[in-house]
Amino acid sequence: MSSQPDVPEEGANGGIQAGRYYGRGIPYLPIDGYPGKLIAIEGTDGVGRSTQIQLLREWLEVKGYGVIETGWTRSPLMQPTIELAKSSNTLNKLTFVLLYATDFADRLEKEIIPALKAGFVVLSDRYIFTALARAGVRGVDRQWLRNLYGFAIAPHLVFYLKLDVETLIGRVLEARGMDFWESGMDLKHGDDIYDSFRAYQNKLLREYGSMADEFHFRSLDARRSVEHIQIELRKQVAAFLEPTEKPEPVAAR
Amino acid sequence: MTFSLLHATDFADRLLYKIIPPLKAGMIVLADRYTYTAFARDVTRGVDRQWVRELYSFAVRPDLALYFRVPIEVSLDRLMARRVKLKFYEAGMDLGWSANPTESFRLFQGKVLDEYDRLVGEFDLNVVDAHASITEQQRLVRRLIAPHVEEKEEMETVDEQPA
Repeated sequence: MSSQPDVPEEGANGGIQAGRYYGRGIPYLPIDGYPGKLIAIEGTDGVGRSTQIQLLREWLEVKGYGVIETGWTRSPLMQPTIELAKSSNTLNKLTFVLLYATDFADRLEKEIIPALKAGFVVLSDRYIFTALARAGVRGVDRQWLRNLYGFAIAPHLVFYLKLDVETLIGRVLEARGMDFWESGMDLKHGDDIYDSFRAYQNKLLREYGSMADEFHFRSLDARRSVEHIQIELRKQVAAFLEPTEKPEPVAAR
Repeated sequence: MTFSLLHATDFADRLLYKIIPPLKAGMIVLADRYTYTAFARDVTRGVDRQWVRELYSFAVRPDLALYFRVPIEVSLDRLMARRVKLKFYEAGMDLGWSANPTESFRLFQGKVLDEYDRLVGEFDLNVVDAHASITEQQRLVRRLIAPHVEEKEEMETVDEQPA
């Protein structure tokens, strides 16, 4: 990570203008000047991302925006492969990272870029920061990761729903319990899933925290009520969208 | 991009399971195609040249890299002699440059060969003229490999004798 955030390094870093490729990009897909907006909602498990995105989507649609959602590992090309690989115990940190990157590339080319071109608001449930955090915790070289994700587009807004580990543990246990990967059991912190979950999520939070300044995260306290967070989200999204688009985003299509 | 990344994932898997362990054990690993294939093929498909090199920076640099070079027409003849149809991706049909597989193959593989030529200097690939007879090629390959595989002296071992 650079000590001078204003000097762009190679690959994904915060010195890049929103709506452009972080790094070398995809040469055969020029994206400059596309009218759509990319909004990423980041945060660990249990922070309520999907609830917030669903509410935000409805609100935006009522206001007349075209909205699409995209989410981590949801690409039709890669989802079955990733599920299979996770269950086979042969994944290592490198193939893990590359499978995620492939999934992301597929969604970028097939969903995100066409939507931006058509003037949609793209709500991304997690973005490359999830990949950077998970891989960073696993000791993958940070500069290599940033180069790898140099084909990603810098979002116009990144909201980071921030939760402390104690609250996170409570929510995950209430919802569905701790699972193998979310607990970072592959990192072999020990056999105890609770201890492992706690250690892993703590490390993840530190990774996210270290990216917050670099990538201009707008941090929101995820301990607050769903309504409270949604109001804040809407306020910030409106403040960004309204001046950039004259109120004809749908009529333009 | 997904084409490139899927191949990189496959390569990473083979590197960590099939290449690095035998290297650690002091064995010789013969790789039929290596990262250079990805550099040539992915760049021809429009991926950034520098990005794909950085992507593969986790790969082990080979002690020796051989590049068997043939003109397009020769490779076409050889492929067509063995099977009736060119494969979709090897003919670069996904790029939509030509609806005719043979023509598409010529266009696509022609650009792939241009990329390989660029790699020869950049990565010190040893070019083998794949026009030559198999025997000639094999003799050249053996000459190139010889300095890298010094014959180890047979270890003097004495079987333990029962007392």
